[in-house]
Amino acid sequence: MATVELDKINKLYDNGFHAVHDLSINVDDGEFLVLVGPSGCGKSTALRMVAGLEDISTGELRIGGKRVNDVDPQGRDIAMVFQSYALYPHMSVADNMAYGLKLRHMPKDKINERVTKAADMLELTALLDRKPAQLSGGQRQRVAMGRSIVREPQVFLMDEPLSNLDAKLRVQMRAEISAVVRSLNTTTLYVTHDQTEAMTMGDRMAVLKAGILQQLGSPGECYDTPNNIFVAQFVGSPPMNLVTAKINQAGEGLELEFGGSKLAIPASVLADRPALKSYAGRTVALGVRSEDMEDASLRRNETGSTIKGTVNLTEALGSEIIVHFTFPGQAVVTADTKLVAEDAGGEELHVGVDKGVRWVASFAPRSRVRMGDDIEILVDVERVHYFDAETSEAIRG
Amino acid sequence: MTVTTEAAPPRHSADEKLKAERMPFGRWMRLVGWRHVVAVIMVAWALFPALYIISLSLSGGNTLTSACPPDRSGLAALSCLVPNKIDFSNYSTLLSSDQYPFVTWMKNSLILATGSATGALLMGAAAAYAFSRMRFTGRRMGMLSLMLVQMFPAVLAITAVYLLLTRILDVFPAFGLGHIWGTLLIYLGTALGVNTFLMKGYFDTIPVDLDESARIDGAGHARIFFDLIMRLALPILVVVFFVSFQSTFNELPIASVTLSDSQNTTTAVGLASLVSNPLIQEWGLMAAGGVMMAVPLFTLFLFTQKSLVTGLTAGAVKG
Repeated sequence: MATVELDKINKLYDNGFHAVHDLSINVDDGEFLVLVGPSGCGKSTALRMVAGLEDISTGELRIGGKRVNDVDPQGRDIAMVFQSYALYPHMSVADNMAYGLKLRHMPKDKINERVTKAADMLELTALLDRKPAQLSGGQRQRVAMGRSIVREPQVFLMDEPLSNLDAKLRVQMRAEISAVVRSLNTTTLYVTHDQTEAMTMGDRMAVLKAGILQQLGSPGECYDTPNNIFVAQFVGSPPMNLVTAKINQAGEGLELEFGGSKLAIPASVLADRPALKSYAGRTVALGVRSEDMEDASLRRNETGSTIKGTVNLTEALGSEIIVHFTFPGQAVVTADTKLVAEDAGGEELHVGVDKGVRWVASFAPRSRVRMGDDIEILVDVERVHYFDAETSEAIRG
Repeated sequence: MTVTTEAAPPRHSADEKLKAERMPFGRWMRLVGWRHVVAVIMVAWALFPALYIISLSLSGGNTLTSACPPDRSGLAALSCLVPNKIDFSNYSTLLSSDQYPFVTWMKNSLILATGSATGALLMGAAAAYAFSRMRFTGRRMGMLSLMLVQMFPAVLAITAVYLLLTRILDVFPAFGLGHIWGTLLIYLGTALGVNTFLMKGYFDTIPVDLDESARIDGAGHARIFFDLIMRLALPILVVVFFVSFQSTFNELPIASVTLSDSQNTTTAVGLASLVSNPLIQEWGLMAAGGVMMAVPLFTLFLFTQKSLVTGLTAGAVKG
């Protein structure tokens, strides 16, 4: 068990591609840290540098306080789970798990003991004599985990270990990996492009974009106080709803104007974020999480803070109703929103450009809204997020 | 609405379908049958010399026509492909002859073929591993020149090889002209190019993740090479071994220059010498020797044919 310190790590390829910029992360002993970001953000490169599979261009990497920049992968006492599992096809499950220990000249009985223990833990005992080709995806995944566990390394590295599994299995393995890693209490770096995995598995998550660290914090922090529009959109499902809004002076306070609606900014928010005052008369990017909206007809006693929209689509999930609605307004289109939309499959890119803004809200299941309804939506103005329209940074302090 | 037939077909429909699909002979011939005809012709074409040699070797005679009595002519002569008598005298003569040391020839051929196949395999695989897995200056140039060099047949260098081996004879007689070790070196040189390419193509299909996983497990290059690559690339290794074995075993032009002494030469050169003298042409012995020469190759093929098929197609598609 050990800490992992990345100190201003850079990766510059020979062709000039700068994959990782000044990445500094301290992973605590026993911590589960998730590196998350869209494809091509440098998260895998960062992990491979920690593993020793890629050279570090500049910066320092310390494992357990010791500089390991020039140490071979085998000397770093790490174990890695690959996206493809990388099981040795010609070896049995037991041999796959034992291979690393054999190379380290561990006595046979001790190898057996560890393999048996790990196989027990991962319910692989019945499969020990099989070859990888005879296993299902989930079983292969468990063997790959087992191969790492038997090594009892200082650090686990996992490179998108679940992305080759189908959705249902992924949820199950997600829980299993979490449970196993926590019971071993080994420092873990986990790379994924799936923010759900990052949210559910990590003690902390590091959100990367184009090789630059955007935010490092607990999943809750990243979700509730995103540093910028990118994090706000990338973390959380559905992504945070955004709209371009104008901040107007309204008597003593400020109010937001967008899409024909006006929302007063509560005094408590202004006290929290005095910087907002300097934005009076300017436009900002306004962000609202889907769960911070409610069907206004369900809350008749609360007034104000509502916007009007037309329902495009409802998805009743039982516990909630997901409502897609449109209202006239100006969508926030930046490089970040495009990137997130592309990463999600590119479908949301065009929506809203001519038909106004499309938002997704989650209503209580009692709501009776139907497709095509014109409805009023109550917005929890205390929990609205503000971003600078030019820099995309969150407006705080 | 008549959707029921698709949803619930009657029980006996499968039989009826089968009957319906049995096509008339003309159509079958046009679509499938002609391939059988072509195949039969090809097999006859390929088997003719083999059968002829076997028949001749068993005839006990020593001329090209001894397998066939003169009274059979025209199409009837084709029946001579089936041996009309079983006489092993050609075999026994060849095996016991002092003038034609067939056993020495076979020994030399086997040493040369095994040695050059093994060497080509190991060196080619090592080179292919480097080309496939490592990035170094001159990698591209190295591969290009390898490809360029292998386009020229080895026989082109025969004069140079002759001179080279003559000089080496003065310093290291064992590796000089007229000794099999010198010839082995020449064979090794000629075998590398194609094989390296074939193997590199196959190695490229083995995921690099495996290497990386092994590196993290604590394996160095040698371990990765022998524990992983050589094990996973077995089909292509079998192909390379077989191809170099058979080409060396049958090789004539180089050996006939470097091993020209008929007392210490390869089977191919030795057998050729049986019929190269216009005054004494031992066709019967030649045929018997040819049949015996085919035995090692035939055996090797039987043992490796399964890997040969997978290896050759894999190499073909991915290489």
